[in-house]
Amino acid sequence: MALYLIARIDEETIALPATEIGSVVEVDQIAPVPRVPSHVAGLFALRSRVLTVIDTRASLELGAIDRDVQATAVIVECEGHSYALLVDEVEDVIEAGPPEPCPALLSASWRRAAKGTIRHGDDAILLIDPAILVAGPEPLAA
Amino acid sequence: MDDLLTDFIAETRETLEALAGEIVAWEANPEDRTRLDSIFRFVHTVKGSCGFLDLPRLQRLSHSAEDALAEVRSGARVPDPALVSAVLAIIDRIGELTDALEANETLPEGEDEFLVAALSARHAAPLAEAAAAETAVGKINVMPANPPTRAVSRSIRLPVELLDRLMAGVSDMVLARNELSRLLRAGGSNSVTDVAFERLSLCVGEMRDAITRTRMSRIEALFSALPRMVRDLASELGKKVKLEVDGGDVELDREMIEMIRDPLTHIVRNALDHGIENPEQRRNAGKAEMGRLRIGARQSANQILIEVSDDGRGIDAERVVRKAINAGLVTAEQAAAMTWSRKLDLIFEPGLSTADHVTGVSGRGVGMDVVRANIERIGGTVDIDSTLGQGLRLSLRVPLTLTIIPALTVSARGTHFAIPRSAIDELVRPKSDQVRLERIGGESVAYIRGVRLPVIDLGRFMGLSEETEPALLVVLRAGGGERYALGVEAVHDHEELVVKPAAPALMASGVYAGTTLPDNSRPMLLLDVAGIAAAASVGISQAAAEERPVATSKAKAVLPTLLFRDLDGITRGVRLALVERIEDVPTDSVVETGGVQMLPLQGRLTTLHSVAPLPDSDRLRVLRLSDGAGGLAYAIDQVIDVIELSGELSPTPVAGPIAGVILHEDKPVEMLDPYWLFSSAAGAPANDDSPLCLVADADDPWAREVLAPLLGTAGYRVSFAGEPLGDRISVVVTSGSTPEGIDAPVVRLRGTPDGTGDESIYRYDRDGLLRALRQHVAGGN
Repeated sequence: MALYLIARIDEETIALPATEIGSVVEVDQIAPVPRVPSHVAGLFALRSRVLTVIDTRASLELGAIDRDVQATAVIVECEGHSYALLVDEVEDVIEAGPPEPCPALLSASWRRAAKGTIRHGDDAILLIDPAILVAGPEPLAA
Repeated sequence: MDDLLTDFIAETRETLEALAGEIVAWEANPEDRTRLDSIFRFVHTVKGSCGFLDLPRLQRLSHSAEDALAEVRSGARVPDPALVSAVLAIIDRIGELTDALEANETLPEGEDEFLVAALSARHAAPLAEAAAAETAVGKINVMPANPPTRAVSRSIRLPVELLDRLMAGVSDMVLARNELSRLLRAGGSNSVTDVAFERLSLCVGEMRDAITRTRMSRIEALFSALPRMVRDLASELGKKVKLEVDGGDVELDREMIEMIRDPLTHIVRNALDHGIENPEQRRNAGKAEMGRLRIGARQSANQILIEVSDDGRGIDAERVVRKAINAGLVTAEQAAAMTWSRKLDLIFEPGLSTADHVTGVSGRGVGMDVVRANIERIGGTVDIDSTLGQGLRLSLRVPLTLTIIPALTVSARGTHFAIPRSAIDELVRPKSDQVRLERIGGESVAYIRGVRLPVIDLGRFMGLSEETEPALLVVLRAGGGERYALGVEAVHDHEELVVKPAAPALMASGVYAGTTLPDNSRPMLLLDVAGIAAAASVGISQAAAEERPVATSKAKAVLPTLLFRDLDGITRGVRLALVERIEDVPTDSVVETGGVQMLPLQGRLTTLHSVAPLPDSDRLRVLRLSDGAGGLAYAIDQVIDVIELSGELSPTPVAGPIAGVILHEDKPVEMLDPYWLFSSAAGAPANDDSPLCLVADADDPWAREVLAPLLGTAGYRVSFAGEPLGDRISVVVTSGSTPEGIDAPVVRLRGTPDGTGDESIYRYDRDGLLRALRQHVAGGN
């Protein structure tokens, strides 16, 4: 059994491995960063750390997270840098067994980010790799 | 105790701890090359440090272990258990001696002999002796029965992570203090709370300064050990060396300093051991007896540059290549295709040393690969530049990351950015008398005191707004002599910022150098000045490319021209196609022989032209001009711009470095005469197969003093009538009679400009004269 953070991106409920998560914070005042890929929403200061804010909807090519309201972000570390992953909502922390393979029918962007599914009660929840969200949409083949 | 010694003890002990695992792994598998290499580096480093700390015992032990391991590394010897044990015993002994050193004790010396003897292949080969060696080893290990009492030290070594956490904690405290201050101000004044708050502020401030200082340290800390080391090494090697250290006040992250310490030590050691010659050799080479070693640090854009240069014998790239081929690092074909600098780079390859004999100071080639490995580990680079016989320069560049840099905060559309102050030339207001803004082909240019600079509007560049009239122009140096003006809405603050690396997605944009968090807790980006120039010029060159068809349809000859300010302050131009590159060279590398200035470039002496005496500064900016076959250097003050010149050239009446004047924006621009420059550069040493020109008027001073030098610079060998001739005459030049009995074409000169009807040429018609000579020589051959 392992711990998972359950969150919602767009209309999809997803799970993130709790071991990779530092904390969950409310994000206000994102400093915009020009000339970077659209999934990079900007910079955010968490106490004295500067985090790079990632719009997870943009990473999955599902539009953009509504940032007019105060947004919720999941803090992760990736290759020595700290990121705040903006999600639509953080729902729960659950315990679940090891992930199972993904169902065959998934849209391309979800298929890229999903590492499998975990069981929670009767539901199967997509387990998402935070590193893929950080990396952003796949560049189009030139 | 000596600081250096304390450092050495702490360092050796630390490496020993880290090495313990490696040693065990090596024992299990003596074939393991990486383990062998790290053990080898350890003993090598110990040997080096002992050399200048005057610890002969440790030095002898490490030297003998290094010898044995070098044999293993080169494949001359197969590691057997006896050798492994012997090496391990030596390493243990180094640890014991280090402890004893700290406690100010002495250990009995006798056993060192056993250990060294146990290493030798002669002992290790027969089984019986190997066993004997092991006994010796065993005996030694038992020896120090009484545990050494360690002296109490007033300095400790901390993991950097702990410092990071302290730093982060204090930064958080500052932010919390700021917030509290805002709340107190909003809640009205209460003198008792205010006093308490003031005290808190003071404490927090002091604490932050202290913690910042723990992370940062002046590079002085690294340089201070050098004078002694150089002095000791020089006397050991019997050399005279003058050390010049510069830039000790550059601040660098403490961790960076530690990472640079070893490489720098190796470099200095190499410079003294292999670079600088002994006094006698230097005298013979025509150099001052006292060799010169220069070490300097400075901040350059987003990096710290540390340069070590000596005026020693330099490195022969060809010899490096031969060694590399012998060592099997490159094939002969690969080597043949390499440039000089690529060949020099080979000395960074593991297992290559240029020293023909091994000394106690350095010289197994372990140094340079370690140097590169250490510098690259912290994201830096090492460049090497050497001219045979003239010296060697190594440039270490390490990133600014985690360094505190002074920066200027600017904004566009409310978004703030930081610019490293080191890249800023000046701030100007577009509305002032000396500044004029213009638009050319959709791009803005600024004329600042007559100098034209491209303008990049920060707001538009960042996609924040349409281009607006900038309130201020920040003139920036983008490196390589390139300058541009950044148009900003406002300039806010000069402050010292702690810069941290930005996430890869941000760095990939190429326009940011890092992130920083000022006291207002709004994250800010540090701009990469050179990156912005590169990103913006893509747009400019595309625009130029699109416009070109229009320009050609006007059928006007447009020539790309490099505009520069010459040493005498006059704006001059040179055809861009001739400019191979723009380079900064050390001013003192210029040598003067026979009134001609020469500059060593890529291992060759190149003629250096300058219109005025060279400036006093350390560095000299030169244009390297090439005509396809030969090259020359032209000293300038600075590059102004690359422009398209289309005006008429009004030729200058006299031949010289200036071909003529072109009007550019109603100002005259003097154009260099490449023909004159190259001919005078090429003409200096006339080689034996250049055509021989006989001057008939041997008694005419004009012919000797005026004509002959012209012919010489034009590439002819000159002979005067009546002198013995050793060669075939290609052409004869005469103002009067034609010498008898010489079968060669004749060029006649006349003293007046007006033609007399014959084929003679006016004697000051330089072009006509040279043309005639060329025709005759070409026809004659």
